[in-house]
Amino acid sequence: MQLRGVVKRYGNQVAVEKIDLDIAEGEFVVLLGPSGSGKTTVLSMIGGFIEPSEGRVFIGGEDVTNMPPAKRPKTTVFQDYALFPHMSVRNNVGFGLAMRKVVRVERNARADAMLKLVGLEGYGDRGIHELSGGQRQRVALARAIAVEPKVLLLDEPLGALDLALRRQMQEELVHIQKRLGTTFVHVTHDQEEAMSIADRIVVMSAGRIEDMGPPARVYLRPASLFSATFMGESNILAGEVVEATSSVSWVKTAIGTLTVPTPATIGTRVSLSIRPEQLHIGRANEGAKSLGVGCISETSFQGTHVRARVTLNVAGGAELLLRAPAAIDLTVGSDVELSVRPGDLVLLTA
Amino acid sequence: MRPRHILVGTTLLVAIIFIFLPVVMLVLYSFQDGLVPVPPFRGFSLRWYEKVLSNRKLLEAMGNSVIVGGLSSTAATMLGFLAAYGLARSRPRGSRAIQYALMAPITVSYLIIGMGLLITFNGIGIERSLIAVGIGHVVINLPLCFAITYSQLGEHQANVERAAQDLGASDLQALLLITVPMLWPTLLAAYFIAFTLSWDEFVIAFLLSKFDVTLPVVIWNMLRSGLSPELNAAGTLVFTTSIALVIVVELLLVRGRRRG
Repeated sequence: MQLRGVVKRYGNQVAVEKIDLDIAEGEFVVLLGPSGSGKTTVLSMIGGFIEPSEGRVFIGGEDVTNMPPAKRPKTTVFQDYALFPHMSVRNNVGFGLAMRKVVRVERNARADAMLKLVGLEGYGDRGIHELSGGQRQRVALARAIAVEPKVLLLDEPLGALDLALRRQMQEELVHIQKRLGTTFVHVTHDQEEAMSIADRIVVMSAGRIEDMGPPARVYLRPASLFSATFMGESNILAGEVVEATSSVSWVKTAIGTLTVPTPATIGTRVSLSIRPEQLHIGRANEGAKSLGVGCISETSFQGTHVRARVTLNVAGGAELLLRAPAAIDLTVGSDVELSVRPGDLVLLTA
Repeated sequence: MRPRHILVGTTLLVAIIFIFLPVVMLVLYSFQDGLVPVPPFRGFSLRWYEKVLSNRKLLEAMGNSVIVGGLSSTAATMLGFLAAYGLARSRPRGSRAIQYALMAPITVSYLIIGMGLLITFNGIGIERSLIAVGIGHVVINLPLCFAITYSQLGEHQANVERAAQDLGASDLQALLLITVPMLWPTLLAAYFIAFTLSWDEFVIAFLLSKFDVTLPVVIWNMLRSGLSPELNAAGTLVFTTSIALVIVVELLLVRGRRRG
């Protein structure tokens, strides 16, 4: 599936700036961004519910830009599920097949198989209003995959579920996707969800693609400042490149000059991003570089780890956020030395 | 606290009596065992109902009312729904203005509408007849049916229709397989409200009919020759029909709300 130079404007407002996106067959892609980032607009343009102002949309090599939604080889799981309340669960799931003139016996058999796949075996005769939110979500999924679309579009499908159920559905989505081999394009604003399900994350902001890549890469080596801050907590240090070679640069920041194994142009203003869990407590070792000593100003126990704020003893008093193993005893008011491995520093221009 | 309760209770009671006393009197004296429907009540009898139900003119008029009501309500509901659907889904330029224009006739008095229709029909050569009355009733009921169905065609409904199209349904299939069945309680409610209003509508029916007339017109004609318990009986039948329809509407709307 490809988007080629797709733009969406509403009057003078640009909802989506020129976007090029290639999605491989069988790939699980997550469009991630805050509300208003244009991610849902992109999904609607693939779905055919919004017409792009410019550019072309291809599904399976076929130009579908001017094709109505009903004709495109894709289906959608809607945010509010949009189930048909006057039909049984089985008829909901079989609706797409009925539109494709599949005979009733075969349609029902296929609907029941889909219900089994999503864990709702034996629910076929129930009414929609008898189902819980999580079950409705599964019916919406079964209904969308029953017609074996080339691409399945998911518009924040898990947003209305509670946390435990959401985790469970994320896993099941991945299992189902791997089993069917269908291309999934999933929209969400939840970066944890994106990381746990995606083969590839497309980070969007203000109608632009900010970053694109496998979850680990996007998280650990974000390509832009927005991407670094949106993909979870991060320490951002503003600085200036004071020295550089073809492979290393030295960045002068409020907490001293740091060596980064990334080339950059001398004199440019840059930001350094350090994930909280990449800050280490104690004397520098294994090639880590000390950032100096600071005073713990705040801690909170989070179960799997302790989150703490440390104010470094430098002019201006830079504050860093760190995440330490839960076993480490951190006392507010005590001094700790912080260090970081240069390789963990991410240099971001602008 | 207590005096206030008494005051509120009394006001409520007076209001209820004020509203229902005429109806109670009408119904009570339809059972009058006597020649005039005025106090004192002389005892219980069903003979006036017998008389009503053997009065050919009244029965004919009742039949006319059912036909006019049935057909005009069907037309008003269908036209109102289609207008609402078209407006809600295609969102043409100035849809707000169109919406208000369609609903504006609600504020115009039946007398004005009746007179306007009379002049128009005269001009284009449509005789005063039950058909003319039916058209008149479509005119007054269409805005209501439009307003009732339009309110049910919001964003959620649109999304469900989008889901149907997403699964391969054509516009027509989405309309017939999804929208109409989902809106069925609302459509029936609109139909019965329209029927109730047509059922006891007098002014337009009086102005636009000639030989064949509807029930309210016959009752009015009979009233001119003086009060009779027979009229009370006829009125009671009209009233009971209306109440039954209103109850049906309420049940349908409650059901619709529960499902939505």
